[in-house]
Amino acid sequence: MSTLLEVNGLQTYFDTIDGVLKAVDGVTFSLDRGATLGIVGESGSGKSVTALSIMRLIPMPPGRFAGGDIRYEDRSILEMSAAEVRSLRGNNIAMIFQDPMTSLNPVYRVGKQIGESLRLHKGMSRKSADVRAAELLDVVGIPNASQRAKDYPHQFSGGMRQRAMIAMAVACDPDILIADEPTTALDVTIQAQILDLMIELQQEKDTAIIMITHDLGIVADMVDNVMVMYAGRPVEEGTVDQVFYDPKHPYTWGLLDSLPRYDVDDKGRLIPIEGQPPSLIAVPSGCAFHPRCPYARDVCRAEEPKLSNLGDGHVAACHFAGSSGFVRGSTAGGAA
Amino acid sequence: MALLEVNKLTKHFPVQQGILLSRLGGHVSAVDDVSFSVEKGTTMGLVGESGCGKSTTGRCILRLYRATSGEIRYDGRDVLALRGADLKWYRRNVQVIFQDPYASLNPRMTIREIVAEPLVIHGIGTREEQKKKVQELLEVVGLNPEHISRYPHEFSGGQRQRIGVARALALNPKLIICDEPVSALDVSIQAQVVNLLEELQKEFGLTYVFIAHDLSVVRHISDRVAVMYLGKIVEIGDWRGLYDRPHHPYTQSLLSAVPVPDPVKQRERQRIILEGDVPSPIDPPTGCRFHTRCPIAQFPICAEEVPELKEIAPGHSAACHFAEPQPIKTQHVHGGSGEVIGAPAEG
Repeated sequence: MSTLLEVNGLQTYFDTIDGVLKAVDGVTFSLDRGATLGIVGESGSGKSVTALSIMRLIPMPPGRFAGGDIRYEDRSILEMSAAEVRSLRGNNIAMIFQDPMTSLNPVYRVGKQIGESLRLHKGMSRKSADVRAAELLDVVGIPNASQRAKDYPHQFSGGMRQRAMIAMAVACDPDILIADEPTTALDVTIQAQILDLMIELQQEKDTAIIMITHDLGIVADMVDNVMVMYAGRPVEEGTVDQVFYDPKHPYTWGLLDSLPRYDVDDKGRLIPIEGQPPSLIAVPSGCAFHPRCPYARDVCRAEEPKLSNLGDGHVAACHFAGSSGFVRGSTAGGAA
Repeated sequence: MALLEVNKLTKHFPVQQGILLSRLGGHVSAVDDVSFSVEKGTTMGLVGESGCGKSTTGRCILRLYRATSGEIRYDGRDVLALRGADLKWYRRNVQVIFQDPYASLNPRMTIREIVAEPLVIHGIGTREEQKKKVQELLEVVGLNPEHISRYPHEFSGGQRQRIGVARALALNPKLIICDEPVSALDVSIQAQVVNLLEELQKEFGLTYVFIAHDLSVVRHISDRVAVMYLGKIVEIGDWRGLYDRPHHPYTQSLLSAVPVPDPVKQRERQRIILEGDVPSPIDPPTGCRFHTRCPIAQFPICAEEVPELKEIAPGHSAACHFAEPQPIKTQHVHGGSGEVIGAPAEG
């Protein structure tokens, strides 16, 4: 496995009337060929802006890259010209969006939309693009594909639309597939079908996947590495086992504890994270999580914690992460 | 005694066809022959995928929709026959919390106006008393009573849902229909609201009908759970029996499809993947409505005979000709559309 994508200290800011909105502030990760990275976090944590930054789909202005770099096969995506980015998008890096209803164009036939990238990137003729589009619909499990390719998006159900989106994304055999909450709008039985399909396609083509989700169940199900984000910053990164079985950041603890679990026998009280996520225009001083953290001390209010290495690639941005005696549920009195 | 009894409830919506000369083109049977009862002080969970009729059931109970047929009894009284003052009495006792905290609060009203509106409608208290009550309610749901003159947009999603809860509590209701109250919220906030609902239930002896698509949340909050598919209850039972020993193949596949936030368990689990989509409720499949996607369907019986809800354990019923308990953690089937792929092995 070789490193395909490297994101280093990425900062994506938006200039708004109320001030600078730091949507992504210091995201760092790398992605190997064929691997799956999960990015988890709640709304407003910067997951989607990270994805859009990689695709260079951030509207500028008001957005701007304030720092850091994104490197794909050792070329800086941030420094590419518009033409270079266009040849990258859809061809090397493709994206699946959350809402298959709004991300398909309602006035074009599904097959045409899938064929569009083939014509653009592979220079296929209209005819051969149509044929290939029908094949792709068949690959993603749409019955009677050559007929259905002539349908409009409204004639497809939600699950079928998401399959069509996947067909479109994999049309040019991209190295990286970014899936931004691909199943959030779908029912669970359809979600299971779509996740299965993505895993199948990944194994066939050795595609790397960035899976953006708020659902820790999906993360446990299909990713190798996880990045947990809070207020635009990564708070913990590691393998899925490290993050689920040996989490080091109080925010990760909070996330895991607040989930109702149907696989655990007893129904104890849920332990929510108190308070609300911060505004990204006025991020709290020091550690962004300190106002909600039951373990916060003075140092947390004053100094922003760096991502510190805990061994085996497991990193966390907490002043106390890894120190002895700092364990989950050890004391809720730290804040007092 | 049961506070709420729903008996053979059916709701059909007419489907219009054509634009100029529109005519009746059949109907959507959104809810079909649904029966359950809810004991005072308990929570009944209604769970299922979109279009299964769970919200329509809730709205029929609220008398927001007029039921096509069937019976709803609240405290022994026939809800569908209530008129005038009696209906107002019913609506004082039965309140609702909606899914979307952004759409269910009027953006041009202050929090005081929103929460006091039920009191105003029912003519309870003077203006000053109403204000005091609103402040008390905000306190109860964990909001700052000083924020009484703010507008909804000044609050986050979780706080807005608390405002919706405060409004539902204003008339001291006995039954609250919670229609997906936490599905628009982030997990950390969702846990706050779920805990709040549980505390309120204990404190005021509330009865809930909790409608949601999230199986884990429903399991957490419910005493009894009904699983719905295409307008029908396919399985109903107390939460432990239903989740530990689901009998209906739909319940089994639904449970197996939910990813668990535990990587090792998730790797070991076998999922039953249902093929295809939920059929249209305008022309639902004959016989058992699930037979087109069922991994254990047998023909012709499943396509011809509508299975009755049969009791399979005390208080636990399933509507399947071949209902068998399947502890979901040890499932080894891959579902097909209608063909039998070996009997699922237990153990």
